[in-house]
Amino acid sequence: MNIQKLRDEAIRAIGRKDVKYLIGYQRGSYGFRVSPAFIQTKEDVDRLIFSPLCHLSLTKYLTLEEIIPVSEEKQKASKIAIFARGCDSRALNQVIAEKGIPRDKLFIIGIPCEGVIDRKKIEARFPHVTDPADVIEENGKYIITIGDQSHEIQKEELLADTCKVCQYPNPFIYDKLVGDKVAPRPANYDDIKSWEEKPLEEKLDFWLDQFDRCIRCYACKNACPLCYSLVCILDRLNPQWVKRSNDTSENLMFHISRAFHLAGRCISCGECERACPMDIPLMKLNRKLEKDVKDLFSYESGKDSESKSPMTTFHVEDREDFIL
Amino acid sequence: MSKFEPNIVAFLCNWCSYAGADLTGTSRIHYPPNVKVIRVMCTGRMNPLFVIQALRQGADGVLISGCHPGECHYLKGNYLARRRFLLMRKLLEHIGINPLRLRMSWVSASEGKKFADVITTVTEDIKRIGPQQSFKREAV
Repeated sequence: MNIQKLRDEAIRAIGRKDVKYLIGYQRGSYGFRVSPAFIQTKEDVDRLIFSPLCHLSLTKYLTLEEIIPVSEEKQKASKIAIFARGCDSRALNQVIAEKGIPRDKLFIIGIPCEGVIDRKKIEARFPHVTDPADVIEENGKYIITIGDQSHEIQKEELLADTCKVCQYPNPFIYDKLVGDKVAPRPANYDDIKSWEEKPLEEKLDFWLDQFDRCIRCYACKNACPLCYSLVCILDRLNPQWVKRSNDTSENLMFHISRAFHLAGRCISCGECERACPMDIPLMKLNRKLEKDVKDLFSYESGKDSESKSPMTTFHVEDREDFIL
Repeated sequence: MSKFEPNIVAFLCNWCSYAGADLTGTSRIHYPPNVKVIRVMCTGRMNPLFVIQALRQGADGVLISGCHPGECHYLKGNYLARRRFLLMRKLLEHIGINPLRLRMSWVSASEGKKFADVITTVTEDIKRIGPQQSFKREAV
């Protein structure tokens, strides 16, 4: 990805009269961290980066309640420009379909994506890095620069798990596309299929173990581009679905409700799993539902911004063999 | 130890299954007394979280019963519920909760006998798989 091309496109986007600001990526506070950038002027554009470290799902920052202060001449502008990789564009499609944000409020700059680095994996390789680090991808390898040292690592070793099975690296919805399209990877649900064959007791033991570790920080919920309800059931006090106490039962309730709210909506960006400080395999739940929705209702989320979510519609011929 | 008597919560739709259960009673048909009935206006009103909440609060099994497809009082509530709980059962199985703990049936207002049969089947299944203890909510 040529960063200059991206910056030129960003300058053109914020130069438009109807664009308020642009959401992109910038270097984070230290090490391998990346944070969202809210760009309003030409000078700010130099802050923009785009590297395999940019794992954040920017769609989240459209639906946050905080209002970003904008300069006076931009007050009347209605659009927000945003960078969108394959999964981001699916999230955008899904949010637009749910009428979370109108399409005409967006100016989408599509970026075909080669996959992102799992920060947990790279931090395990290079612990306690505080100097700013850079990563470039070249011929199936990552070239990592920390200070004045340079390392080379095979791409597959650091690639995020969701990106290894990413079927849709190219954006579905965009106003401008920057860069060349990327070859998609084939669908692969082998891990879920082999898990399905295990006995129930083993599965329950595994999950109760995982849920027990949960500290209910809600980082998964906060990182998810599709958890944007203003009143989440987890915050509600009447009825109080999930109590504040941190025990197996409450945690199980939390995880089931989180997963089921994403049934037929999850776009497999993997942000929840990467945000989890306790390494709970949340994508294993999401991918199961994704696979079942695909098998049973032949629906995949976020491919367009018109079709209804499978849980809000039905077919008369839906499967019925489980009913007495 | 005394024989395990399961606790089953049945969510019955107001228009078909609740009337069906009524008919079972007025027809003097016997069925196991393990079932606690909660009336809902439609199976489409069923939040999947009701099921988990019931299982956490002492139920060993949950039955959801509504009108036959095409006969819903609200036209499509049971179709939506069918999809929802098909998926919910898959998720429960994935987590390791026996999907037999969540059953669904269509019982119309005239099927008093069928209602008794359904309750018998569900109760026997739950008796076989035993009580739900692994994620019970702690008493507060």
